[in-house]
Amino acid sequence: MLYPVRGPRLVRRLTLILLITALSGLLFGAAPVKLDDAWRALSDGRDRDALRAIGNDRSTRAAQLAYAATVMSQQPAIDQNMREAEAIFIELAKGDDAIADEAAYLRARLWQLHYFTPDLAKAAELYTELAARHPQSHWAQLGLVKLGLLKLYALPDPASPDRLAPAEALLARIHEPALQRDLHLQIGQAGVVLRQPLRRLIPHLVAADQIGGIGATAYEDLVIQIGELSLRAGLLEQAKVYFTRYLKEYPAALRTFAVRKRLEEAERQLALAAKEGGK
Amino acid sequence: MKLRTFIKKRFGLALIFIGYAVSILWVFTRSDPIIQKRPVTISLAHWQLERGPSAGIAAIIKRYEELNPRVHVEQQMVPDAVWKQWMRSNLAGGTGSDIMEWGMWLAGQKDIPARYFEPLTAELKQPNPYNKGTALEGTPWEKTFHDGLIGPRRDSPDPGQIYAVTFTEVSTRLFCNIALLREITGSDRAPKSFDDLRKIFEKVHAYAQRTGKRVNSLAGSRDNGIWIAQNVFSGPLLKVNYSIDESGYLYLYNRQVLAAYLDGKWRYNQPGVKAGLQLIREVADAMKPGFLQLRRDDAMLEFFSGEAVFLYTGTWDATSLRQMASFEIVPMRLPPVTPDDPEVGPLIKGVGGEGQGETAMAMYLNKSSAHKAEALDFLRFATSVEGQQLFTDASLWLPAINGVKLPEPIKSFRDYQDGYALGQAPYDVIGSEVSMTWLRNFYQLSGAQGSPERFATVLDEAMPAAIRKDLQDEMRNTLLLVKPADTQIVAYAELAGETPEGRKAATRQTETEAGQTMSEGLAFQMKEQLERTAIGK
Repeated sequence: MLYPVRGPRLVRRLTLILLITALSGLLFGAAPVKLDDAWRALSDGRDRDALRAIGNDRSTRAAQLAYAATVMSQQPAIDQNMREAEAIFIELAKGDDAIADEAAYLRARLWQLHYFTPDLAKAAELYTELAARHPQSHWAQLGLVKLGLLKLYALPDPASPDRLAPAEALLARIHEPALQRDLHLQIGQAGVVLRQPLRRLIPHLVAADQIGGIGATAYEDLVIQIGELSLRAGLLEQAKVYFTRYLKEYPAALRTFAVRKRLEEAERQLALAAKEGGK
Repeated sequence: MKLRTFIKKRFGLALIFIGYAVSILWVFTRSDPIIQKRPVTISLAHWQLERGPSAGIAAIIKRYEELNPRVHVEQQMVPDAVWKQWMRSNLAGGTGSDIMEWGMWLAGQKDIPARYFEPLTAELKQPNPYNKGTALEGTPWEKTFHDGLIGPRRDSPDPGQIYAVTFTEVSTRLFCNIALLREITGSDRAPKSFDDLRKIFEKVHAYAQRTGKRVNSLAGSRDNGIWIAQNVFSGPLLKVNYSIDESGYLYLYNRQVLAAYLDGKWRYNQPGVKAGLQLIREVADAMKPGFLQLRRDDAMLEFFSGEAVFLYTGTWDATSLRQMASFEIVPMRLPPVTPDDPEVGPLIKGVGGEGQGETAMAMYLNKSSAHKAEALDFLRFATSVEGQQLFTDASLWLPAINGVKLPEPIKSFRDYQDGYALGQAPYDVIGSEVSMTWLRNFYQLSGAQGSPERFATVLDEAMPAAIRKDLQDEMRNTLLLVKPADTQIVAYAELAGETPEGRKAATRQTETEAGQTMSEGLAFQMKEQLERTAIGK
């Protein structure tokens, strides 16, 4: 005999337990969707885990945002996914809360980067709309930084021969210091690549440095860059300040020797200028 | 009947007794428990199969497991010949090790950190808890590294982030068979300038011809050839570099060198670059013909056989050399090319510098690791004063961090050359396509038929397409980091709050936003440069 005599009774009992467990969902309601798990998975780039955590319950706006964000980041990145995500973002953006701003921002990002054929003009339009609707929202402010990049490189104003001016005009609308710093830095770097006059771009680099918080190599590069470009532009005192600071903060780095030489050059030119001024 | 009754009644007791006896035997004869008591296993994968590092890492693991009974650490050693395929297939399949070694020079692998590794920037700003009670207590982790993590900063896909910590420090040296040098030149004096070395090359060549013995100045292989070529090439490039440094970094990233070429700001055929090619020809001719077909093990063999006076290699081979050579080896610095060099002096800006050395063997945290916290904790221990002392003592490789006592045999490796910094790479390895084009045409430089002029002309014909492709790849790799950051930023924003996890998420959000904007800016810059220099413009 393969089964014990008491088998059928045991099976009946187990079936009853399972039935009660299943029905308890109806009595007490389904378990709430663990959106934090979904966001955690999404922050690690685990889109399948994110979808699993969201499940089928997309009754809340937060769950819809999480779902659309997951669809947007799914691999392979195909336009069908982007269209599905965009449809949800459009609906969410009609609201009047933080989720609406996040959705509007992500929609603009879809058009800038994620569709197979980006439409940068459309992305710029969406950033502009968001900033007009909720100018103080973090997502609108972040959108203005991205709009600044588009104006610098991709959508230059044909009426303005000055490639930096349209992005500079956005600075006054950005109130979050970290985001203002990021745009200052980008205007300064674009000034170098677009070969703008040094005295025009250096103030942006200095402003980015003064706001602070730039990390890793970007910071080391920036301190040297301000010193060196200042020296080339004849801003000798400023060059001296930045080179001196570099040597203090990086006494034994790869570029310390070169910076020491450039500091000597700045000091030599300063002494020469003082001598000529005294004549 | 009685026996059966006895067995029936006492069987349970007998079984317990036998089990007890087996347990006693097991406890006294085996150290491992029958059931693994460590619930967490993390793995660390690297390709350093030379003598030294595996013993060093094993010493770190042994101590770490004593301190952390919950965690078991596995060391996975994978030969470098298969490393790239092994790494990519495992990472893509979600089975990558928790901690993995990666290097910028691995051709075609530049996208790996952005795709699969976790930034450590926020963690590096905090002190390493394993440094408690040492001189480094309270010092941010990042600042405990001897070089401030030059490599992981420079090689980061995002200029605002650091993705790795390093386990050791390396430099390159001319390892000299001192008896052979004495026999050939009559002196064992280390060359002080490149011109001194040039004269040794001449003497060795004359000796080989005179005696008929098979002996070369430099043990040759593709790897050793590339290392020494990069060093001598850098000397004349310093002047070229400073003339094209529009950003004022006093250092050039590969993307900038590539863009400057497309802008017509430098050519392989210009005097400064050609001077570098001439120096490469001199060192190539000091190796056996056909060295590009050989690997570093062949060069070692040539050196051990007494058929080469010098072996130019990294300090990563020092332990193997010390243990395997039957003659006295003296490590010497490759003498710099100086502005008074009789051949290329006027084109030399100054001596190239090493700063305070560069730490290496960069270890990255797998983004998909199931045990990120434990893997991060192991990285902290491995790069603490205690962990690094264990590593250094067992491997005789230099430590990556400050405050470690150096064993006598490796003290001379921390003797640095002060001078100008070149940049991310010399002009032969600024991109995958460039490297391949360089190697494909290298025969035009060395040997009886080759010359710097001929090689430079061929390169200037072939390189524009290769350089454009490499700059496009740089741009694409930068964008790899930008796109996923969009949903990550929103995810961090949703997780941000007043809890420790919430605060960490808020920090990550700010960092990711800044990093994404910087990378996006870089991608736009490269696009601008590519469009500006497009054919027909």
